[in-house]
Amino acid sequence: MSRDARKSLAELAEESGVPARTIRYYIARGLLPGPLVAGRAASYGPEHLERLAQIRALQGEGLTLAEIAHRLAGRAGAELPAPTAWFSYPVAEDVIVMVKAGSAPWRLRRVQAALRSLAAALAQEGRSE
Amino acid sequence: MGIATSAGFAAVSARAGEPIELAMEQLWLAGVVTPAGARLRARHRCRSAEGRPLEVIYAFGLPRDAALRRFRVTGEGFSVRSELKPVKEARRSYEEGLEKGHLAALAEQYRDGMMNLTLGNLRPGEAAAVYLEILAGVENDDTGFRFRFPFTLAPAYHGRARMADGGEIELPEDEFGDLVLPRWREDAEGLHEVGFQLKVSMPCSIREIGSPSHAIRVAYEKDGQGRVVSGAARNAPDRDLILDAHASGSLSGVLAGLDKAGRGRFVALIASERFGVARGRSRCLVFVLDRSGSMAGAPIEQARRAVEACLGAFSADEEFGIVAFDDSVEVFGATLRKATREHRQEARDFLGRIGARGGTELARGVLEGARLLGSQGGDILLVTDGQVYGTETILAQLRNLGIRVHCLGIGAASQDRFLSLLARKTGGLSRFLSPSERVDTPALELFASIGRPVATGVVASVKAPGAKIEIEPAATVFAGTPLAVFGSAAGTGEARLQVEWNGDGRMEVPFEIGESRQGELVRLLTGARLLAELESEAKRISGEVEPRLEALSLEYGLASRAMALVAVIERPGDEAGVLPETRVVPVGMPFGVEFESYFPAARTGMPRALQLGRAGKAAPAAAVAYRMARRASAPGEKSAELVELAAEIEPDGGMPGSTDHERILATLLALLRLLEEGHSLTSGAFRVHVQRLVAFLEARIPTLGEERKKIAAAVVEMAKAGESVPGEWTATQAANAAAQWRQIQRALRAAGRI
Repeated sequence: MSRDARKSLAELAEESGVPARTIRYYIARGLLPGPLVAGRAASYGPEHLERLAQIRALQGEGLTLAEIAHRLAGRAGAELPAPTAWFSYPVAEDVIVMVKAGSAPWRLRRVQAALRSLAAALAQEGRSE
Repeated sequence: MGIATSAGFAAVSARAGEPIELAMEQLWLAGVVTPAGARLRARHRCRSAEGRPLEVIYAFGLPRDAALRRFRVTGEGFSVRSELKPVKEARRSYEEGLEKGHLAALAEQYRDGMMNLTLGNLRPGEAAAVYLEILAGVENDDTGFRFRFPFTLAPAYHGRARMADGGEIELPEDEFGDLVLPRWREDAEGLHEVGFQLKVSMPCSIREIGSPSHAIRVAYEKDGQGRVVSGAARNAPDRDLILDAHASGSLSGVLAGLDKAGRGRFVALIASERFGVARGRSRCLVFVLDRSGSMAGAPIEQARRAVEACLGAFSADEEFGIVAFDDSVEVFGATLRKATREHRQEARDFLGRIGARGGTELARGVLEGARLLGSQGGDILLVTDGQVYGTETILAQLRNLGIRVHCLGIGAASQDRFLSLLARKTGGLSRFLSPSERVDTPALELFASIGRPVATGVVASVKAPGAKIEIEPAATVFAGTPLAVFGSAAGTGEARLQVEWNGDGRMEVPFEIGESRQGELVRLLTGARLLAELESEAKRISGEVEPRLEALSLEYGLASRAMALVAVIERPGDEAGVLPETRVVPVGMPFGVEFESYFPAARTGMPRALQLGRAGKAAPAAAVAYRMARRASAPGEKSAELVELAAEIEPDGGMPGSTDHERILATLLALLRLLEEGHSLTSGAFRVHVQRLVAFLEARIPTLGEERKKIAAAVVEMAKAGESVPGEWTATQAANAAAQWRQIQRALRAAGRI
């Protein structure tokens, strides 16, 4: 990599729009690799910029930082992706709805309420047929 | 303290789940607390036990009406004060300092009064302390105040929050910027130690200083001064510090003096009793109950009972509504209901079905309450733990409804800042309780005040050279809560505060502004309160608000969401370019809040339903001690019995019974019971109930025979005089009526009342 492509932490923060403290936090959490060169000339490359964009995108999908760390580690092939648990709701004989476990309790209750309605509607439909 | 050893705990880690050493050892609170507010110094002692430089982030919430003034960073061979700079500039200074290998500290404020204190480049083995100077408000009543300081942080609800395994909450960046929240630990034992040593200063002699949250030792010094220190060997960061201080009499008075620039500053507290008594008007009140998951257990149960007891104080021509909210809203009746016997029974049935469950859509609950009240207006009594993020948005939705929102907050960790602002911005009252206190009696106390203010249309002015009112006082005064007026004058000398209300009410309070240094404290408290109010108006700090906040920050020398505090310390041997390892200081889950109500799969990362053979966890020693303290401080059975008694009062003000005479006797007994417990027509949480019982008796006395007429009239006279006679006034209700009348008669004779 050319020296020109390397950036200081301040430049990386400026270009990515992610505050420098957040970048350090991501490095500490294993979401982002450390600088290319340590010490006085510490610098960051395009891969850091790309990784920050990935993190943003995954956050936009609703993933937590812990989930993003596992996801990114899985892509790199360094370790197995984290296992994900799902609840299975058979709302009708021919319909199963999968809901990701570990949602906030209030969100899960909302989903369960919707599933109850769906199950009732499907049962009603079955009877009228 | 052995915190810098591996005996610490597996806390917030660089990589999730990795055990680390503790970066913050101790949080120690010192300073002075007065009825006008507090000037505090919070020492955060940090130490790195790791082999590389650390960046330590500590998150905390500001108390009510609070702002940071400055901090000082001390360590071996250095002591440096912070500078106040616009946020961007402060961040730049911090980052540049860090880049050069210097020790740097940054205190930055975010939404909801949330703070991040960041200390960067702490060297291996190095210890440093950050002394934060904080100005904070207190919750006043006519005879004293309640002071709260957050030693932990409550997790809260936000529709877009991401809940991570193991006690983390991530908030949307577009609203909260780079705010870092701590990891919540179910067990706070092993986290940093918290402690306090505070001076309490009152303008008159102190009757009592107590704490429902912590064991304390109190030394009463010269008149009006007291010292409070932690009574426990070690406290964990799992609840707020709460101190109650009460004067021997009314707290009315003026705190005045010169600020550093030589300008006179004052704050006047005028007890509500000086405005007269409440005018009797028909009440129109909606109870809005938080039924979110974090209210599970005792809080929701007590909130329910509180509403039932309040229902007993309504007369049949008054109207009420009930709204329960979590992430959906449930309403008792589509419109307001008259407080008839049938409607009150239906309301009790409705309340019986209310259980704690989902999130906290607080604004929707209050808006529904406002819809019920409609254009006629009225009051809302909101019972909540207030654990919700994005409070500025809620305030914006609710402040212009034309409805007074009174808040009864519950919780071990403070959302006091938000609830006090919500009440003040809507013209209401707020009270905040810890889980160790009963919620029903304070609810009744609030209920007795609201809807019937002692003064409305309050306007204050001050006569002195160059004088002005700095903070417009509340337009409405309620029984039990004093009016606070903050102002200033050109310098020392005589001044007169004039207060007018209700068109014809008027009082004058003369006072002297001397050279006391208290003037600087008043100036800072004024600034902190103005900043808190301005910040509450904006979700984002930009456009019109940013320059106003900057100007206010600079005028008072206080940090805000527009201005941060930063310090950079150059030490010999600083090495540029070394990337410090970031650590977030964890906090304990607030006492009484169920961990699972926020973090469903915290222990194992597995869904709760899949956790097999989960063993019950023994309560930590501190928790056991706290529960014991709760038992000791709880008012106990008497209070519960009175709440139940109050809930039985019929819409006409009498107690139930199968005949008129039976009802009169039951009402006399209930009245004697309340009087015996110190409640009268004008004071005590049950004063409205006393008023209604007396009104019922006065209407029915003419129907009695001569002898009983005398007995009943004597009891009513006694109630009017605020007196009581001893007796077993509750245990006798099932006994023979004639015997009960004789018992009352004997007690009255013994007391010389007949």
